[in-house]
Amino acid sequence: MLTALAFRNLWRNRRRTLLTLSAMVVSAALLILALGVFSGMIDDMLATTTRLYHGHLVLAAPGYHAHRDLHAHLPEVTAELPALAGIEGRLGSTPRLRAFGLFSVATSSQPVEILGVDPVREPAVTTLHRQLVAGRYLQPGEQGVVIIGSALAKKLGASVGSEVVVVTQAADGSIGNDLLTVRGIFTTGDSRHDGRLAVTSLPWLQHLLVLDGRIHEVTIAIAEPMTAFTVADRLNTVLPAGIAARDWGDILPEMRDAIASFDVSRMIVVGILYFATGLGILNTCFMSVLERTREFGLLLATGMRPWGIRRLVLLETLFLALLGSTAGLLGGFLLTWYMQAIGIDLSGAITPITYAGGTILPRLRAVFEPANFLVPAAMLVAVALFAGFLPANRAARLDPVAALREE
Amino acid sequence: MRGEALYLPLSPYASLLTDANMPLITLSNVYKTYRHGSLEVTALTDFSLEIAEGEFIVLAGPSGSGKTTVLNLVGGLDRPSAGAVTVGALEIASASAAVLADYRLRRVGFIFQSYNLIPVLTAAENAEFTLMLQGVPRPERRRRVTELFIELGIEGLEERRPGDLSGGQQQRVAIARALAAAPGVVLADEPTANLDSHTAEELLDLMRDLNRRRGVTFLFSSHDDRVIGRARRVVRLEDGRMVGDSTTNR
Repeated sequence: MLTALAFRNLWRNRRRTLLTLSAMVVSAALLILALGVFSGMIDDMLATTTRLYHGHLVLAAPGYHAHRDLHAHLPEVTAELPALAGIEGRLGSTPRLRAFGLFSVATSSQPVEILGVDPVREPAVTTLHRQLVAGRYLQPGEQGVVIIGSALAKKLGASVGSEVVVVTQAADGSIGNDLLTVRGIFTTGDSRHDGRLAVTSLPWLQHLLVLDGRIHEVTIAIAEPMTAFTVADRLNTVLPAGIAARDWGDILPEMRDAIASFDVSRMIVVGILYFATGLGILNTCFMSVLERTREFGLLLATGMRPWGIRRLVLLETLFLALLGSTAGLLGGFLLTWYMQAIGIDLSGAITPITYAGGTILPRLRAVFEPANFLVPAAMLVAVALFAGFLPANRAARLDPVAALREE
Repeated sequence: MRGEALYLPLSPYASLLTDANMPLITLSNVYKTYRHGSLEVTALTDFSLEIAEGEFIVLAGPSGSGKTTVLNLVGGLDRPSAGAVTVGALEIASASAAVLADYRLRRVGFIFQSYNLIPVLTAAENAEFTLMLQGVPRPERRRRVTELFIELGIEGLEERRPGDLSGGQQQRVAIARALAAAPGVVLADEPTANLDSHTAEELLDLMRDLNRRRGVTFLFSSHDDRVIGRARRVVRLEDGRMVGDSTTNR
C-alpha cells in the first residue's frame, strides 16, 4: 500500500509532476544524445588515425617506434604468429615495412614516408583503399607502383600515371633509388598523411631497402578499439623475446589524452545539466512535502515511524526518477538512432580539424555506447534520490502536533 | 447487516491495564507550556484527571482551554512540561519516540475534526492504513475493514476516494480507521464540528454504541452541546485548568 500511496501521491499535482518529468526526460534524452555525439567524435578521431594508418595494435621490435630505426626489423613470418589468431575480435593483421626518403618529379622534390604493404591484407586493417580520389589501389603482385596523398601529389605536380623518382637509404648503407608509377591518389583529411605518405607493395620496398623477408611491424585492427590496452598486455605475455605489442594509446599518447579529456568533459556536462535538473526535482519534492504537512502529521499520529515517512517521500522521488529515466532513455535512444542513421553534415560550413593525431570530421554523428545510456539513467535516479532526501528528511522530522495544526 | 452488532476481536494490545483496579489513563499535576518565539504560552496548569477503561468522556470548554493538549498528551503525540501522564503502564513523559510511535500505532485511535483522510487512498485503504503499518496481511486487513464498514453503515463505499464522500461518510471512514487496529483508547478532537446536526447526532450515537459494545474508551474534546449531552462524564476546562468534572447516568 505504501508503494501505491507513493505512486498516487505523484499525481496529486499532475501539472507540476508532468513539468518536472518533462525537464528530467528532456535533460536525460539530450544528455544521451550529447554523449552519443561526443562518442561519435571520438570514434571519428580514433578511426581517422587508427583505421587509416596506425591500426589498433602494432607488433614491432622494442624501441622501433621511438626512432623508426630502419635496422629494427623483424622476420616477415612475425605476421603469422599463432598468438595473433587468438586475439578476440581481430579484424585483420598485416605486415609493413617503412622507409623515409625523397620523391622527385621533374624539378620538384618532397620528403616522404614510404610504406610497404601487402595489398591483400592491408585493407582488412586500414581503410586507405577507400579514400582514393583518383586512380586505383595497389593490386596483388604489382611492383613499382605507388599511391600517394593528394597534397603530396599537388606539391610534386604528379597525377595518376606520373613517374616519380624515389631516393632512400637502404639497410646495407647503400642509396636505394628507383622509379615508381603513381597508380592512385588518396585524400584522408589528415594533412600529415595527405602531404607525405606514399604506399607501395611490400616486396618492392623490401628489395629497395635490401631487407628481403623482413618487416618493421605487424599492424592489427580489432573490433573494439577500447580493449586494445588489455589485448596488448595479454599479447606481451606470450610474444617471443624481441617483439613487443603496443596499443594505439602508446603509439598516439596525445589521442589517449584527448579521449581522457573528453571523458572529463562528458562528466562536466552531465554535472551541469543534472545540477539544474536536481534543483527542479528538489523544488517539486519540497512543494509536495510542504503541501502535505498535515498529512505527514496524521501519518506520524497513526504510528508511522520517521523512517517510514522518509521512505514514502523517497519512494515518490524514485518513481519520478524511474519514469523520467525510462522516458529519457527512450527519447535518447530515438535521438541517438536518428543521429547515427542520418546525422548532420557540416562539410559546407566547416573543414576537417586535425586534433591530437586524429581528425574531427565535419559532421555530427552519434554512436551507440551502453555507457552513454546507463550513466545518464543511473545518475538521474541518483540525483533525484539525493534531491529527494532533503524534503524526505524534513517530512520525517516534523513534530506531529505542529504538523496537525497546519492548515 | 447494518445495525447488527458485530464484535470484532480485540487486538492483544487493546487492553492497556495491568491492574484492573487502576484507572486506564492518569494525568497528575500536568503542566504544558508552548513556546512561540520569545512568547511562552501555558496550555495546561496543574491538570489532573483519571479515566477508567471503557469510559465515554468529553473534555468540554472554549477554544484555547487546553482540550486538544490533553488529547495530544494522552495520545503520545506530545509530552508534559511537568507532571505525569500514564496510560496503562506507559509513562508518556519518559517513553522513547519509538515506544510512543508503537503506542500510537497499536493502542490509540485518532479521530479529527477535519477527518484527515488521505485523498489518494480509497476509503478502505484509509481504514486499513494502521493495519498495514502493523504488518497485518492484506486479506486480513480487508476482512476486518469490510466488517467495520458494515458496522458503521458505509458498506459499498470501500473503493471510493474521500473526495467522493460526504462529510458524514468521511468521518465514518475516519472512525473505521481509528477502530481498525482494535485500540484500547479512541481520542476524538472535535469530531462533529464540521458536520450538520443530524449527521453529528448519528455519529455520536454510533460511537456511544461502539463504546458500549466494544468497551473501547472514548475521549472527546468538544464545545458542541450535542456531544456534551451524550457523554456520561464531562470534564470542563478553562484556561488550561479543570473547572468541573460531572458524571451522569446516561
